[in-house]
Amino acid sequence: MDGLSKKPLNPDSLIEATLENPRMSARNVDVFYGENKAIDNVTLDVGKREVTSLIGPSGCGKSTFLRCFNRMNDTIDICRVKGTILLDGNDIYDASMDVVPLRAKVGMVFQKPNPFPKSIFDNVAYGPRIHGLSENKDHLRNIVEKSLKRAGLWSEVKDRLHEPGTGLSGGQQQRLCIARAIAVGPEVILMDEPCSALDPIATARIEELISELKAEYSIIIVTHSMQQAARVSQRTAYFHLGRLIEVGKTSEVFTKPKNSQTEAYISGKIG
Amino acid sequence: MNNNNTIQLSKQDNSKIVLSGLSRRRRKDRRLKLYGRLAVATAVTFLIFLLIAIGSKGIPGFFQYYVTLEINFDRERLDPMGDLSVDSLYSGESEALVTEAIYSKLKPQGRSQKKAVKKLVSKGGGEKIRDRILKNPKLLGTTSKIRFPVDDDVDSFLRGYIDRNVPESDRRLNDFQINYIDELVSKNLISYKLSEYFFFGSASRDPELAGIKGAVIGSLMSLAICFIISFPLGVAAAVYLEEIAKKNRLTEFIEININNLAAVPSVVFGILGLAVFIGLFGLPRSVPLVGGMVLALMTLPTIIISSRVSIGAVPPSVKDAALGIGASKMQTIFHHVVPLAMPGMLTGTIIGMARALGETAPLLMIGMVAFIVDIPGSVTDPGTVLPVQIFMWADFAERMFVQKTSAATIILLLFLFLMNAIAIILRKKLERRW
Repeated sequence: MDGLSKKPLNPDSLIEATLENPRMSARNVDVFYGENKAIDNVTLDVGKREVTSLIGPSGCGKSTFLRCFNRMNDTIDICRVKGTILLDGNDIYDASMDVVPLRAKVGMVFQKPNPFPKSIFDNVAYGPRIHGLSENKDHLRNIVEKSLKRAGLWSEVKDRLHEPGTGLSGGQQQRLCIARAIAVGPEVILMDEPCSALDPIATARIEELISELKAEYSIIIVTHSMQQAARVSQRTAYFHLGRLIEVGKTSEVFTKPKNSQTEAYISGKIG
Repeated sequence: MNNNNTIQLSKQDNSKIVLSGLSRRRRKDRRLKLYGRLAVATAVTFLIFLLIAIGSKGIPGFFQYYVTLEINFDRERLDPMGDLSVDSLYSGESEALVTEAIYSKLKPQGRSQKKAVKKLVSKGGGEKIRDRILKNPKLLGTTSKIRFPVDDDVDSFLRGYIDRNVPESDRRLNDFQINYIDELVSKNLISYKLSEYFFFGSASRDPELAGIKGAVIGSLMSLAICFIISFPLGVAAAVYLEEIAKKNRLTEFIEININNLAAVPSVVFGILGLAVFIGLFGLPRSVPLVGGMVLALMTLPTIIISSRVSIGAVPPSVKDAALGIGASKMQTIFHHVVPLAMPGMLTGTIIGMARALGETAPLLMIGMVAFIVDIPGSVTDPGTVLPVQIFMWADFAERMFVQKTSAATIILLLFLFLMNAIAIILRKKLERRW
């Protein structure tokens, strides 16, 4: 396996890493945890209105790479990021870039549903409130309703908006978190294994939602489930030991992978 | 079994070995349980012992003996200037009226008998008359029955602490006085009532007049100052160290020293307060303001440590959630981290303050041990605090002060229970589940 990882990348896969008109583009990104290199020279574009899935075995750096797109890695003291990531042509790691507006544009949904210990309404309203997005209370209520509707949760919670968000079921909590993320009107939504804590029915519900949301947002999803990647994403990137091994149309990566490592992973021989 | 190649125990063999050791394991379990129960029982016994000891000594201290006397509120003699001013009342003869009232009941003859009878009633009698008149000037010109505190020796005699069979020279009351007390008792003039002086009096050399009000107010003022200073400072320091400061040598050094400060003997903070607040800043001695500041120094490490622990216990997922939708660091801290950590921080603060409430040594250093009769009206008036008052009373020889010491201890314990109860209620109330 070690020998495989040192093999040069297939030139075809590098060509597919870039796109004509991307929403975000990562160029030669390295990530270090102290002395450890977690991500090694990754270049990847994220298309508009499509779902990009990052797959690979545990510890391959896909979550670390995902967290580069909204600079969540800044919260870890020993973590350093090199290279550039562009959002609509601006480098998000530029000194002049403030993380607050960046994270308003690049929302995130985490592995474990993490609603605030507040009411359902306040959970969704928190983002618009801190960014000053609502002109008055009616407007705010509108935003909350729209976000919950888009997250497919409105019909289930419209009568109990003032009950705690933590009282919902796991799947509902995760949809609440999605509603919270889209309430601030992001361009990109990052999802870090959003279904790993959910049962199959709740998972199906979230996947359905992701497919709907891609009409409006760019979505990057990290997943352990190859079936999920195949179901929801249009592009798939396979990571191994901090390197991007292969990227391409999901249908192609899963049916005729160009790289033998990718093939080994998706056919279940490693991972 | 020693040789790796021959490990091939059958299932029966294994279960036999397990079974043979089972009774020994069970015995160990039972022994451990027994030790635990013994430890708890010992602790509970000591606690009960302590409560009974303090209760049996202290509860009588809430009461005292009074003698009911008939007072004729003579306008001329009580209010010579006729304007009901404090000056006028103090130039009046209220003390004499009390003495006359007891003479009229007991009719002592001759100098030594009169002297003996005069001593039966507390010196505080005149003050009580003036107090009544100030509250209700209409009393002037009327006659009414008033309960006066008896002298502390009489009180002790009535409680049975002075034995009438002891030779006269060895007891604090002479034969005349004992006879007169018997006469008062037989005339039904002696009563045993809740002590107004204990609850509403201040420091006094006369044990029957001494009370805790001044000390309680001093304690409350000191604690208020302590809270106002230490809570915001402690929480701010904890938030900074836990959430904002980079982890490096300097913050590590600060951390170690905060932990050390929590273990510093409290008297050292008193010396610090004496040197800095009184010596350097020139603040007055014996005032609750400085007392509170010293207690705040002492409480700060406790608050910082407990606040850091509760901030650290806030799930990182909540912080991630807030940061993930673009909350700034400050918004994340003040909208999410601090509210979630608040129950723990308040509990730590109240426990720290409860410790401060019981603290004597640092306050001795800044002069709060002074004998102060006036009840402090502000934090810059000289005053004392409850534990120091207890400390002072414990030093006096009079029998009645012993009771008051125990009684004041009960009050102090009640305050501590109250604070701990508040801590528990606050924690239950503010705690949010997620």
